[in-house]
Amino acid sequence: MKPDGTNHQRRRFLAGGASALAAASLPGLALAQGAGIDQPMANGHRNLAVYPEKRPMIVLTSRPPQLETPFEIFNDGLITPNDAFFVRYHNAGLPTSIDGDKHVIRIGGAVGKPFEISVADLRSQFKPVELVAVNQCSGNSRGLFTPRVTGGQLANGAMGNARWVGVPLKDVLARAEIKNTARQVTFNGLDNGVYGGGDFVKALELNHALDGEVMIAYQMNGAEIPFLNGFPVKLVVPGYYGTYWVKHLSEIEVVEREFDGFWMKPAYRVPDNDCACVDPGTAPAATRPIGRFNVRSFITSLADNARINAGQPTTVRGIAFDGGQGIREVAYSIDGGQSWRGARLGAELGRYSFREFTFGFTPERGNYDLRVRAWNRSGQSQPAEALWQPAGYMRNVVESVKVTAA
Amino acid sequence: MNKHTVSAALAATVVAAVAALAFTTSTQAAVKTLNLPPDGTQLKASSLAGYAKAQSNCVACHSAEYMLYQPATAPRPYWDAMVKRMQAVFKAPINDADIPVIVDYLVKTYGNEQGK
Repeated sequence: MKPDGTNHQRRRFLAGGASALAAASLPGLALAQGAGIDQPMANGHRNLAVYPEKRPMIVLTSRPPQLETPFEIFNDGLITPNDAFFVRYHNAGLPTSIDGDKHVIRIGGAVGKPFEISVADLRSQFKPVELVAVNQCSGNSRGLFTPRVTGGQLANGAMGNARWVGVPLKDVLARAEIKNTARQVTFNGLDNGVYGGGDFVKALELNHALDGEVMIAYQMNGAEIPFLNGFPVKLVVPGYYGTYWVKHLSEIEVVEREFDGFWMKPAYRVPDNDCACVDPGTAPAATRPIGRFNVRSFITSLADNARINAGQPTTVRGIAFDGGQGIREVAYSIDGGQSWRGARLGAELGRYSFREFTFGFTPERGNYDLRVRAWNRSGQSQPAEALWQPAGYMRNVVESVKVTAA
Repeated sequence: MNKHTVSAALAATVVAAVAALAFTTSTQAAVKTLNLPPDGTQLKASSLAGYAKAQSNCVACHSAEYMLYQPATAPRPYWDAMVKRMQAVFKAPINDADIPVIVDYLVKTYGNEQGK
């Protein structure tokens, strides 16, 4: 939706600008012309570039910005730094300037008392809550699908874990006095389609919106939310794919029907069956909106094709997460999945957070196919063979990291 | 390629401003402005008629990585559906007569008709 007092960019963005200057002026951040990375897929070369408030990131698209986190950052700690957190926009009509105090969220629709509230008032009038939660793009890892599917060709870096502070959506909606005919709640932000079509609007079922966990966040890892991650307020939907985490949140509307805007239907839908999968190359008979994360786990301390020292004890570290049950167990294999042992779990920062695991082994000379597999508290886990769906969402196969000890 | 000729003093000011933003607390919200870097890629030049039309239609709204990074297996129906989506959903002002020309360029440059 439109006019909200902010300036929207149309067509070409300004070349260069403050961020490029800042980056070029900061030691260690200057990038060589043509700096890039090869993602593990055909046609996988990507540029690295510095965007506002970001360290060098993998550029999936320049405009609108879609930036992937270099995977080695996930080994630095369980919290993903703000300046390394992935970015995903759908439209290039971005606001160019936002006042973090005066920005207004309008709440309306099927409510008795529609109102609007500034971010300054949101901070002062509601009791804040804090939660560590993973945000993961629906299409994280899409580029690794076999057979390949079209769409954003991401490797595994469109995810991140942050400490969010904000106010429960439930508390904000309570002030509006929701009518008993309400069915869903829709969310819109300041980003717009360049020609006005395809505005990015998402919907949650009413009971989900009122679950007390869905949050209007105004702080990320102890700082303001970076512009490209949704400054000044972002919807946080714990355990759910990032498509619902609307940035620059500006409009909340309670609706009395199932919202069917483009980004709910036909976009962001998965096969409506238990595995959210179909036979490769086929189309699902029915679909539903994408929902919670499935279980994933990754080795972060060793990259594929890494060399390690034979005869020396090696500690392997990684992360696991799921859609909110919490991780119960992680197993590891050093022989390509022939045999498995239990990894050690690290401290739990919350059931929506990355959970650290570690294991050790002393390799002989030779090749090792390291695999990890996690289970959540409901006993859900990861498939040994990748599942497939045409939109390329929800990949969660048991990953393989091949290393050589010498 | 680097065209920045702004003085070091201004650059230092910008750095200070960015640093200040990074450490602003929740009670000191600031005005943030956005200046994005230029596109990192351009459309692949081609003698096909759709190249110029893709320049004026497609990259008016989004950068060329959207095409460049698709798998080379992407068939003509995919590119056709995408161009029609841009017109129908995103209201891109694409002339109907230009659609097959643009699609032809896209599938022969980025899709499974490369080299045909």
